[in-house]
Amino acid sequence: MLSALPEAIGILLSVEGILVLVLGTVLGIILGAMPGIGSTVAVAIVLPFTLTMGQAPAILLLLAVYAGSVYGGSISAILINTPGTPQSAATCLDGYPMAQRGEAGIALGWATVASVVGGLVSAIVLIFAAPQLAAFALQFGPIETFALILLGMTCIVSVSTGSVVKGLMAGMIGIFLSTVGGDPILGEMRFTFGNWQLFAGFNLLAVVIGVFALSEVFIRASAPISRVSDLVAFNGIVLPSWQMWKGRLRNLTKSVAIGNVIGVLPGTGAATAAFISYAEGRRSSPNRDGFGKGEPDGIVSSEAANNAVTGGALVPTMALGIPGDAITAVMLATLTLHGITPGPKLVEDNPTLIASIFAGFFIINLLLLPLGMMLSRVAAPILRVREAFMMTAIVILCAVGIYFVRGNPFDLLIMGGAGFVGFLLRRQGVPMAPLVIGMVLGPTLELTLRQGLILTDGNFLAFFTDHPIAMVLAIAALLALSLPLWRGLLTRRAA
Amino acid sequence: MKMKYLISTAVAAVIASSAAMADGFPERPINLIAPFNAGGGTDLLLRGLAPHFAEAIGSEVFVSNMAGGSGTVAASALQGQRPDGYQLAYMSITVSTIQPQIKDVPYGLDSWTPICSVAASPTLLFVANDSPFQTAEDVVEAVKAEPGKYVYGSSGPGAMTHLTTVAAFAGLGILDDMKHLPFQGSGPAIKELTAGNIQFFGDTEALMQRGDFRPLMVFNDTRLENFPDTPTATEVGIEAPLNELYLWGGLFAPAGLEPDVTAKLEAACEASVASDGFMEFANNSGTVINYRGAAEFDAFYRAQYQSNSSLIEAAGL
Repeated sequence: MLSALPEAIGILLSVEGILVLVLGTVLGIILGAMPGIGSTVAVAIVLPFTLTMGQAPAILLLLAVYAGSVYGGSISAILINTPGTPQSAATCLDGYPMAQRGEAGIALGWATVASVVGGLVSAIVLIFAAPQLAAFALQFGPIETFALILLGMTCIVSVSTGSVVKGLMAGMIGIFLSTVGGDPILGEMRFTFGNWQLFAGFNLLAVVIGVFALSEVFIRASAPISRVSDLVAFNGIVLPSWQMWKGRLRNLTKSVAIGNVIGVLPGTGAATAAFISYAEGRRSSPNRDGFGKGEPDGIVSSEAANNAVTGGALVPTMALGIPGDAITAVMLATLTLHGITPGPKLVEDNPTLIASIFAGFFIINLLLLPLGMMLSRVAAPILRVREAFMMTAIVILCAVGIYFVRGNPFDLLIMGGAGFVGFLLRRQGVPMAPLVIGMVLGPTLELTLRQGLILTDGNFLAFFTDHPIAMVLAIAALLALSLPLWRGLLTRRAA
Repeated sequence: MKMKYLISTAVAAVIASSAAMADGFPERPINLIAPFNAGGGTDLLLRGLAPHFAEAIGSEVFVSNMAGGSGTVAASALQGQRPDGYQLAYMSITVSTIQPQIKDVPYGLDSWTPICSVAASPTLLFVANDSPFQTAEDVVEAVKAEPGKYVYGSSGPGAMTHLTTVAAFAGLGILDDMKHLPFQGSGPAIKELTAGNIQFFGDTEALMQRGDFRPLMVFNDTRLENFPDTPTATEVGIEAPLNELYLWGGLFAPAGLEPDVTAKLEAACEASVASDGFMEFANNSGTVINYRGAAEFDAFYRAQYQSNSSLIEAAGL
């Protein structure tokens, strides 16, 4: 494949190649920043345009939009506390407090650099280690995935600002919401009360937007009108200097690694990676005490991990023909339309195409930096409007985004309901991030638990005694849960 | 006299207006609804068909997605709409004939005006290429020797992939000695078939070629061109109605569509399915074109609805 690289670079440096890379990335960043659109829909929007393109440009356009949208989600997360995509929900936790302190520019700077590093490393890993990593992904059956999700669930404790009990409550609400709709094993309907609108369950994006963005609007609307006209002081991205990275590089490295590994495993995804990485940062970062109050390490943990997932998710897609997530599934479908059969022989049979895809993916991640800075400068004046206008605009943007995705007015009701309930819960000090974690991880937790029980004939202990990887992950989950308790005991004794 | 005149003008007016309605059809853009997410197989097929359909009907045509509940959310929403021909859904065998028999949905056999069928692919039962099973007899022998050991996968309960494996193993009389492991979509299932956590899976030829897999039988009336050595389910000893399974789909409008409008849509469908552009698309995407006109598709759909109930019973859904 590497021998095909010169020819591949020729494709990338053609007029069409450059246009596709730049425009695709710009479009991806914008769509990702729009609340409610999400990466999957962003990719689907450009899909019809790829039908008339050549093989390599078609896939590159999808990749550019994909990587751009994952990064773009962080912009609205930081500036208006609205995660453009669920994978940016963890970015809100520290990004928005920083923006409120007037450090929006530098917060976005951290997010941008972390995203670029995460994406670039994942591109390099993809180019050099795809076959080996794909073999590793095959080791992850339902039981191993269950153990990984269990570890992910322990994040609830670390993102529960204030009260852990309230955080756990929110997590349980999230898991409960995820059980509405079709039973994944038996196909029967649960908690739908005969209403077909609920057959598909609650729309995850509608709930995420509701509890983060709408509830924020409600909270501001219920507060006295502020005299200050601008919400957050923002004049474009400010990149963190080298000195500011001191003591943070370890956290960056760890986050990139977490994103890469989780990306490779089918059935998990960027939101899971961002939360697990955030929890790990909160556990091990030297700056952990500031997490949740506007600590750059929190942004770095989340953003480096979710962008590293993009390259990771391409590993099983390219090496095995198995989509790593919903977005890579769209890419596989596009390959098929261009007369290419995805599968284990994909790389062998199409060396030039794959080389240009891999090299193009690397360039796309480089482009995130200048294009992100440019776009944020364009966005800056928009944020200087009066608070009332801004809040109205947020509500409209969220509503349009949510309606656009499935064309179903019922989703707007869900969003509104989630916003109101989120508002009531937040006023009682219940954090919303655990609710989102419960909803994101809940379906996979249930599916893999029940799949595992089918495979082991109902023997839960065999999950761990027969599966060493699951055992290790379960022990890690136990440690993650008990370490804060242990630390708490130690400090109490010291005091 | 006056009364008679009034009635006759009224009747004439009604006839004229309905004729005018069909004459004028289509006056605005037609919406083709994909009941699944953008980027999936159904969505791509509709997007491939839409430009040719638009050309044939002489109006704008746009594709929209309304995913959820294995396609039942879109079908349930369309079922309550006015049958004016401006809203059509592409529904598969599962959305139109299986789901309404296993779920409490607001639609059923008589909710639709079938317009045309577009595609139909037979399904195959397959194993990983390094599997010890060469024939259906090998499978029966192994399963009987160790009941409860072997696992078949599906892309979800009640999906075509599920019915394929159920038809195979119920037909061979070993269904109760095996375990069913549902996944969400075919992608994760073929990963586990590669990894060895499941031993059997059933899907179309296009999907089977995604991996290093080997077919054991095909649910078609004849052997497939690409796999001349793979027996049909009938040859293996599986009896009707379990021996032939096709993942088919076509365009449906809500019940009560005017015959004139149906005829126009049917003609446009026939022309677009036969167009060079769509043929090329089908060839690239592995779609097996199978056109049926409105009357023929209606009869086929109703027969399938009835015969699939025995499959549903065998699957225990």
